[in-house]
Amino acid sequence: MKTIIVGLGNPILGDDGVGWKVAEEIQKQLPQFPLQDAGKIDVICLSLGGLGLMEHLIGYDRAILIDAFSTDDQPGSILIMKLNELPNYSAYHTTSAHDTSLQKAIEFGKSMGAKLPEDVEVVGITTVRVHDFSEELSPPVADVVSFAARIVLDLLQQLHIHKEQYV
Amino acid sequence: MTQRISIDPVTRLEGHGKIEIFLDDNGNVANSYFQIPELRGFERFVVGRPIEEMPLITNRICGVCPEAHHMAAAKAADAVYHVEPPHTAKMLRELLYSAFYCTDHTTHFYALGGPDFVMGPDAPVAERNILGVIHKVGLEIGGKVIQMRRYGHAVVEMIGGRKVHPCTSIPGGMTKGITKEQRQEIEEMGHWAVDFAQFSLKLFNDIVLGNKTYVDLILGDVYTHHTYSMGMVDVNNKVNFYNGKVRVVDPNGKEFIKYAPKEYMHHIAEHVEPWTYLKFPYLKNVGWKGFVDGIDSGVYMATPLSRLNVADGMATPRAQEEYDRFYKTLGGKPVHQRLAIHWARLIELLYAAERWVELVTDPEITSPDIHTKPTQIPTEGVGIVEAPRGTLTHHYWTDELGRVTKANLIVGTTNNYAPIQMSTKKAAENLIKNGVVNEGLLNMVEMAFRAYDPCFGCATHSLPGQMPLEITIRDADGNPLEVLKQFC
Repeated sequence: MKTIIVGLGNPILGDDGVGWKVAEEIQKQLPQFPLQDAGKIDVICLSLGGLGLMEHLIGYDRAILIDAFSTDDQPGSILIMKLNELPNYSAYHTTSAHDTSLQKAIEFGKSMGAKLPEDVEVVGITTVRVHDFSEELSPPVADVVSFAARIVLDLLQQLHIHKEQYV
Repeated sequence: MTQRISIDPVTRLEGHGKIEIFLDDNGNVANSYFQIPELRGFERFVVGRPIEEMPLITNRICGVCPEAHHMAAAKAADAVYHVEPPHTAKMLRELLYSAFYCTDHTTHFYALGGPDFVMGPDAPVAERNILGVIHKVGLEIGGKVIQMRRYGHAVVEMIGGRKVHPCTSIPGGMTKGITKEQRQEIEEMGHWAVDFAQFSLKLFNDIVLGNKTYVDLILGDVYTHHTYSMGMVDVNNKVNFYNGKVRVVDPNGKEFIKYAPKEYMHHIAEHVEPWTYLKFPYLKNVGWKGFVDGIDSGVYMATPLSRLNVADGMATPRAQEEYDRFYKTLGGKPVHQRLAIHWARLIELLYAAERWVELVTDPEITSPDIHTKPTQIPTEGVGIVEAPRGTLTHHYWTDELGRVTKANLIVGTTNNYAPIQMSTKKAAENLIKNGVVNEGLLNMVEMAFRAYDPCFGCATHSLPGQMPLEITIRDADGNPLEVLKQFC
């Protein structure tokens, strides 16, 4: 079993960088977290969508993406979804304006014979400010980084998570 | 006509790929506004940081073409320090950049632009994507696309130090060179890229040029605008992506100006409209006359097509053959039909692949002479490269310690904001007559702006969910009549 955890976002664009911050927190907490039979776990940070993101998921059985979300929920709300449930919500980096959506990219990769995760889960954090250059997160978003990291670590122990919402 | 049509649900759309169309009393298009929000505060963000950080920071502006920002910022940093990188360093940068171009143009053609033609402009949106293309033309195409991208990433990683966001260009050159073994590997991949580019042009030839409907669509008036063209050329006035002068030709193809990067401010000004944060660059010495065609209007485009229009040819032999065939088929220079940008992009793909081979087989490419030490006091500098989506300008001012005091960037897509606005309006005018909205409106408008390969990642950055497009049609009093939405 090989799992990849991907923090998505732009680290210099305010709340859009929250995925990176959560992934960094996971890297810190992972050595202390008791995981049973979790297999090999890789944690990376990327600023990619579409085909480029799909190419990083090749060879893994499971993927958890952490991304900034645009929803009408309270800033700092955390949503856990399957990738194919996304269109009603908005994870910024599961798509790229320049190529195709991650869903289409994964379908494409699979049809080419690439080994790609059957399950892609997305942990999204509702953002406040994503159009201003800054390395800082807004307070309500910064406040949930540690909690979001804990949620991802919990997810690692579960194979079949359905849509849940934590506020 | 007050029916609301929602083609696909989208949550928050404010300002993202949003088009507002206003009708007159007769129900015809009075005006159309294509709105893109602007990222704010970059100039403030970089103030106080060392200039040598700019190639690393600016490649974070956008996940689509970090290599272009890396190169423009690196060239600007060279200029700030008044230092000329050694020949090998310049070749290494251009080699990396050529491989990046191959990846980028391939992705656009097969994932975005191509599906409109391969599947047909009337195909449902669900089929107009890369999967539709491989289902129709064959699985082996998908394998080639993946291979091309893999090779492109590999070269960027070998020369740039990282797969996606290169980090090896510094003021005066490069931090590392390539070994003889790496050179051999890059050369083999380059030959494959040339074959792939030729294969792509053949595919375009068979599927698009072999179909009269598509040719009529390309040559039709709906997607035609007679504007100025901009692009970078080398000393022989041949297309170059990394180095040279920016040349602008008028709508008749006559050279209007050719300027060195540091002179850009004398030639480019920016127009502001109250309905959008993004500015509209135009040719200062022609003047802003509104969103109109013609020799008296300062509107210009900066795309693969305009790069071909401004050049006297391509610097590599196979691309030159395709260049000749392009203008012969389309009736001579310059070409103004915007859908021809897709074809021009494939000719550039072939040039980039040939240039890749040319550079990697240069005997000096493995030379250890890759850095000139800066010795002068840093002041101010401009760096320009051709990003896949248009001329990219970085301009920095620093204090005597090299800390940035001011920055100005004109990104590729921004150059094309005025022409994109004009193209989307023209498509709308053709599809809304006397209050009747043709059902093909969304597809046709989408094709109008897609040809430019606009990088909202750069010009705007974040997009909700999939790339959405929302069109609101309003009556003469501004009341919404219809809202059309879909994911592109």
